[in-house]
Amino acid sequence: MTDEILRVDGLKAYYQMHYFGVQREVRAVDDVTMSIGRNEVYGIAGESSSGKTSFIKVLAAAVRPPLRVVSGSVNYDFRSGPINVAAATAAEVERVRWKSLSYIMQGSMSVLNPVRRIGQTFHDFAFRPLGLPREAFDRRVLDHLARLKLPADILRAYPHELSGGMRQRVTIGLATICHPEFIIADEPTTALDLVVQKEVLHLIRDIQAEMGASVVFVTHDMSVHANVTDRIGIFYAGRLVEEGPTRKMFFAPRHPYTAHLVASLPRIGDTAQRPSLDGRPPNLAAPPDGCRFHPRCPLAVDKCRIDVPPLVEVAPGQRSACWRWQDVQPLDRSVALAHGAVT
Amino acid sequence: MTSYFWFVAKRAVLLVAVIFFGVSATFFITHLSPISPVETALGRIANQSSFSPDAIEDMRRVLTDLYGTDRPLLQQYVTFWQKLAAGDLGPSLIAFPTPAMTLVMQALPWTVALLVVSTLITFLAGNLLGALAGYFQNNMALKAFGVVAVVLQPIPYYVVAFVLLILFGFVWPVLPISGGYAMDVAPGWTLDFMWSVALHAILPAVSLVLVGFGTWFLGMRALVSNVVTEDYVTYAELAGVKRSTIMGGYVIRNAMIPQVTGLAMNIGTVFSGTIITEQVFNYPGLGSLLIDAVFGGDYALVLAVSTISITAVGIAIFIVDLLYPLIDPRVKAE
Repeated sequence: MTDEILRVDGLKAYYQMHYFGVQREVRAVDDVTMSIGRNEVYGIAGESSSGKTSFIKVLAAAVRPPLRVVSGSVNYDFRSGPINVAAATAAEVERVRWKSLSYIMQGSMSVLNPVRRIGQTFHDFAFRPLGLPREAFDRRVLDHLARLKLPADILRAYPHELSGGMRQRVTIGLATICHPEFIIADEPTTALDLVVQKEVLHLIRDIQAEMGASVVFVTHDMSVHANVTDRIGIFYAGRLVEEGPTRKMFFAPRHPYTAHLVASLPRIGDTAQRPSLDGRPPNLAAPPDGCRFHPRCPLAVDKCRIDVPPLVEVAPGQRSACWRWQDVQPLDRSVALAHGAVT
Repeated sequence: MTSYFWFVAKRAVLLVAVIFFGVSATFFITHLSPISPVETALGRIANQSSFSPDAIEDMRRVLTDLYGTDRPLLQQYVTFWQKLAAGDLGPSLIAFPTPAMTLVMQALPWTVALLVVSTLITFLAGNLLGALAGYFQNNMALKAFGVVAVVLQPIPYYVVAFVLLILFGFVWPVLPISGGYAMDVAPGWTLDFMWSVALHAILPAVSLVLVGFGTWFLGMRALVSNVVTEDYVTYAELAGVKRSTIMGGYVIRNAMIPQVTGLAMNIGTVFSGTIITEQVFNYPGLGSLLIDAVFGGDYALVLAVSTISITAVGIAIFIVDLLYPLIDPRVKAE
């Protein structure tokens, strides 16, 4: 990556809690190093409690106790100047919020204030960061709505008067109206039906292409990743276990967890049962030694139980944290093809 | 706008129905009770001086005629509504021959003023402080308010009223403890009179405020600490929306909705609370009048107080109801 907008170095973010004097620590994000390029759509995948939500909370500078950044840095290189949001003060973060760094939140049903008109919400969110006079601001909002294919009269509507898909488009509109350089999209399509999902995904892609923003796209839905992202990072138990260009991740995964994730995808016409992994993700308060995936890994050897595998480059642009990455079976191409990871 | 018109019309019909059934119930309860107003009146008159049996019989006839107690109940009921339509509920017994309606109308402003002022103060202070306490959960001063609210909230009206009476009437006698205004001030729109009224209202009002405060404070604090975890609040915070906008337009605005419902349901309770408070402070309102009427067996007056109270509480709830679609846009959609 020649031009990076985000560089995360050795990031550790733990949930630290005290129950009756006993300290408990959940290592939700443990030693993550990665970077995202300008205009890139980066997908983050992983099952529930893999730490992906905690990770993007740090990226969004939305860390609240009991979650705490223990070490590491999260450096953005915005046009307005570089900022390390893991160490910045609230006022410094406030300056880049929405102008440079915006967020599409999960759950379009509940992210809009039920007692405020959409127009008022646009004003709350974007008036200050845009810094335009009232008239120019109103025109900007109308132009933006047109781009989102939303009728202008929704500005007078309350959220309950809109459909789920419209609400999600409004949320995307709120997140993109200031032309931010970096957008974090947290499960933006999860609660929507497939047709609306497709619409919303295209919308995000189009807006991203038009405005030239970087997008971090978080979802556990691998077929969404196949359709939208340029690169994918796979999280498992608080660690980034594999990352690489989307196509490679589908056709030539180099981590057994990724291979299973992709192999679990259904395919039209194929009635064979999809393999599922035994066991469950580890307890992050007491993660296993060595590679955290070893209790469930079919390839695990003694070394995996003792030493933590480093994230190493296994192919151009592809990194894997597995001692046995060379033994990972590439999978049936048709599954990847069926999900849109086109060759 | 037309949807709002129908909303108001529906609520107005409901209001009329509530008043009709409430007043009817009071009518039948008083008229089916074994206490006869005529005999009670005669008993009192006969106690005071000796009359010949003929004179008593004459009086009985006159009083029976006046109250119409010899006619069938249903006919009395119809007559009652006819007279009520003309604003006449017959003469009071304990203040014979002053019309019961006149006594009620004299007492009504006192109670309404006391209720409106104390309810407004309680509602605004309780909700505002409760909202702040729910939002700034680590603020020590607001935590202290929480403790005060928890202590005050379960204490009944009459205990608070008596404690205030003892504290400010005997231990530290700085405030008037009885009546609506000082005896040496002539009623009228003068500054002296107003000042006296205000001074006399302090203790009854404070006792109502103290008791009501806890409920609103604790309710609002719980509501706000829930609302702040809602996605739309988190999202607004992530977007860097101004703190004051989040607090007012997002948090309080949403937490207010159930509190306004609570206000409508609370008005009746607070009204029954004033009956006791007024009695303790000998305040010249509807509560004192009602208790005098009950003890005096004055059922024209009981009926008059109840009728006016039912109407007043009904109208107050109606007004709150009308505000509802303005604070919650989702209500209009019904």
